Amino acid sequence: MNALKLVGKSLPRIDGPDKTTGKARYTVDVDLPGMLVCGIKRSPHPHARILHIDTSKAQKLPGVKAVITGIDTKGIKHGFVETPRYPPDQSILAVDVVRHVGEEVAAVAAINHEILAQALKMIEIEYEILPAVFDVEDAMSSDCQVHIHPNHPRVKENYCNIAGKTQTQWGDIDAGFKEADLIHSDRFESHLRTHGYMEPQTAVADYNGDGTLHMWISSMGHFGKRRKLAKTLGMKDASIRIHKAYVGGAFGGKIDLFSHEYCVAALSIKTGRPVKYVASREEIFIAYRHGQPLISEIKTGVKKDGTIVAQQLRMINNAGAYKGSGVVVIFLAWGFTMIPYRVENFKYEGYSIFTNNPTRAPLRGHGAPQVRFAIESHMDIIAEKLQLDPIEFRLKNARVPHEELPNKDNVHNCGLIDCIKEAAFKTDYTNRRNLRPKTDKPGDSSPIKHGIGLGVSAYFGGSLIYPNGSSAIVKMTDDGSVDLLTGAIELGQGSETVLCQIVGEELQLEMDDIRIISSDTATTPPDIGAWISGMTYVTGNAVREAAAGVRKKIMQVAAEQLNEKTENLKLANKSVWVAEHPEKRITYRDIFQASISRHKGDTIISDGHWRTMRDEPFHPSLASTKGRWTENYAFSVQVAEIAVDTETGEIKLLKATTVHDCGFPVNPQLVQGQIDGQVSLALGHAFMEDVMMKKGYTLNPSWLDYRMPLIHNVADSKGVEVITESYRPGHSFRTKEVGEGLVSAILAGIANAIYDATGLRLYSTPFSPEKVLKGLKRLKKNRGLL
Amino acid sequence: MKQAIELIINGETHDLIVTPNVTLQEAIREQIGLKGTKAGCEMGTCGACTVLLGDKPILSCITLAVECQGKEITTIEGLSEGPTLSNMQKAFVRAGAVQCGFCTPGVILSGTALLKKNPQPNVSDIKKALEGNLCRCTGYNSIIEAVLDASDPSAPQQDQEKKL
Repeated sequence: MNALKLVGKSLPRIDGPDKTTGKARYTVDVDLPGMLVCGIKRSPHPHARILHIDTSKAQKLPGVKAVITGIDTKGIKHGFVETPRYPPDQSILAVDVVRHVGEEVAAVAAINHEILAQALKMIEIEYEILPAVFDVEDAMSSDCQVHIHPNHPRVKENYCNIAGKTQTQWGDIDAGFKEADLIHSDRFESHLRTHGYMEPQTAVADYNGDGTLHMWISSMGHFGKRRKLAKTLGMKDASIRIHKAYVGGAFGGKIDLFSHEYCVAALSIKTGRPVKYVASREEIFIAYRHGQPLISEIKTGVKKDGTIVAQQLRMINNAGAYKGSGVVVIFLAWGFTMIPYRVENFKYEGYSIFTNNPTRAPLRGHGAPQVRFAIESHMDIIAEKLQLDPIEFRLKNARVPHEELPNKDNVHNCGLIDCIKEAAFKTDYTNRRNLRPKTDKPGDSSPIKHGIGLGVSAYFGGSLIYPNGSSAIVKMTDDGSVDLLTGAIELGQGSETVLCQIVGEELQLEMDDIRIISSDTATTPPDIGAWISGMTYVTGNAVREAAAGVRKKIMQVAAEQLNEKTENLKLANKSVWVAEHPEKRITYRDIFQASISRHKGDTIISDGHWRTMRDEPFHPSLASTKGRWTENYAFSVQVAEIAVDTETGEIKLLKATTVHDCGFPVNPQLVQGQIDGQVSLALGHAFMEDVMMKKGYTLNPSWLDYRMPLIHNVADSKGVEVITESYRPGHSFRTKEVGEGLVSAILAGIANAIYDATGLRLYSTPFSPEKVLKGLKRLKKNRGLL
Repeated sequence: MKQAIELIINGETHDLIVTPNVTLQEAIREQIGLKGTKAGCEMGTCGACTVLLGDKPILSCITLAVECQGKEITTIEGLSEGPTLSNMQKAFVRAGAVQCGFCTPGVILSGTALLKKNPQPNVSDIKKALEGNLCRCTGYNSIIEAVLDASDPSAPQQDQEKKL
């Protein structure tokens, strides 16, 4: 790599001082004069017909300023996906039927929380309770008597409650299985986990007399939110201004339009006053969206030498009461299956099924942890059956650089093979595995068993989803420092720091020469948002183009002023000089003035824009997987080292080694922060976290009972980068995903490490003490030891 | 029945009229207007609302304002002196122990309270002191590093002063 000034350096976050001193303002901190508080009346039933709603008593309560129900809305539906195949299916407020506990029925604006609580109680709703279904396989069974929505019209199988289906195949699956020396099938299940963002769901709206709706939203991308708000409110996009606020974590849980965001807007329009909503933590657990549970059935045909010749998968997703991201996760589950390993003959079916549970959302990895847990466990099982080394087995089938994927995407400088080799080397994996069949070493009476396990994963970056691209503006100021205008939203990942590093690199500025103005729909250009794993790549390249445009103007003006060709000029320290005659020099400050006087008032502003798949019109088909997906695949291998207490069933993740190909890190410290956070999330999901639901009700709606990792659970986390790309000023770059793909392989690694430590193969998450103890007991029994 | 109380927040005296059910967190955020104290759960489970009562970290969301009558309270805004961050705040920035930042004020106050009591804590002391603070972003690795760094007299804090 060339000598770089800022890119590739672990510079401190630019939002660090504000966030450590309490100055950083989040949506939950927005207070406006005369502000009303909003509350939502929610369904107490998992499935019921609304017979009658009476809001008159609540409306008469002094201090209540407005009450709205479904009939007060425009009746325009919305959905996570809004395509002809998957049209929007959610009402802002339920009108005729509620389909899950916590579904929104009415909203109130009042002058304080006491009156609000009283008013919500005074809203009378008469329901006719309908039968409900919660288990995904009960719901899809052909004799299910509960029909939450009509079946998807284009899915003809004899199942019920089908929200959507993804299917694809290539090669000849039957011929493939005929070639196989071993055919092995497994079934894995993943459980319901949640995001655990620290800042609650919250929004503030303030409708002004000029017809502008000002909003602050704890969001993952303001432009997507604005589009859906404009549509459902029947307003012009430009009449809605979503302002910048820091976001206190999201992890996938704050993407889509939420009812409360519409409600504060509608209530502000109705009352002419600012309105704020903050969800309680209990509401978030009971009514809001959690992750996507998935059943994975995998059948794989392998030759003796380890070549995978056929693979057939069937994935079933419990989507909850509305489609949400369920019809996306069954598409993504195909993607996360097909990226890392070559399979010549392949068949995939994914079903998303309606149940009377709350609607589901992406959760950091959006299906990848579930899929990779299944496949990497399955790989280890097959390796053992064929007596193959699990490393060699993976290497044999791993994608190689520049390989074309079945969807015609290219993996470009794929670092997977290097990741596998490096992970095995760094952890001395082969020597440290306990060989099977495992027998306790003589004299080893300790109840603590150690194990090591490995998983492989891959992730896409910056695919085409609204608004499909990012733009950015860089403008110079009198003293030669610059302003960067970007729609990118800072939710903890460090986007503002990384984008400033890129601008600084192109213009050879210090970090404090750059001011960033971000995520304000009125003043910053559109941005893809922080939810498609492409901010550094897509927005980063847009920002780089904008900075490059400024650099070009700087050089042009300098060339004129110095009477020299641009190729003979050098640029650094906010000045430009003639390479051969350093004394012939002009500062950015003087260039700025010269540009104005010599170029018709041009104050040196430039824009840039970027999108992935620039020749593709649209994202791939969710139903058939046809169409290009991304040009940007990241690869990772993670190794888990664990200790299992065979007396209590408790497992501790001691060390996680993450070897990953993120292209190159723009800021290594921020990348390590992403790795550590994802390892922590994975260990929570593996051992501790479980949204327990019974008949549509959440049984553990607080952080006392939904146990997220505490500082005591911290794992030693080591990140190792496999560098496959580089940054060259003046050229586009290819960074790869690093913010959500690294929950997956470590989860798989933990599962394989449990087997390594104890011989216990777990086919479902979480790996709870109860499940581990039960499994160990069963093993002992099978071995005739009990 | 409303009560008049006096809270000494970051060395400044505030006179408030509160109903007895108002929490310290509400008094600090809503009445006094210091928003650095965060409310993550309002049920004492996450530690984001941690403030110091004297030298002791407490959860302001489950502490009543009237209980703090006449007491000295430090919030995150009280740690920095003008534009200069405290050693702990600087260490958090330097170690990358901040991501979304929502838990950060509470974590820093818990860490600050620890160092007042125990200027040279080991990792297990740090874990004990910070066990009530949830952080979803960092995995805690960099937080431990930051507190160790802040407690190390040889750490290059002075060098960073200008940058931060």
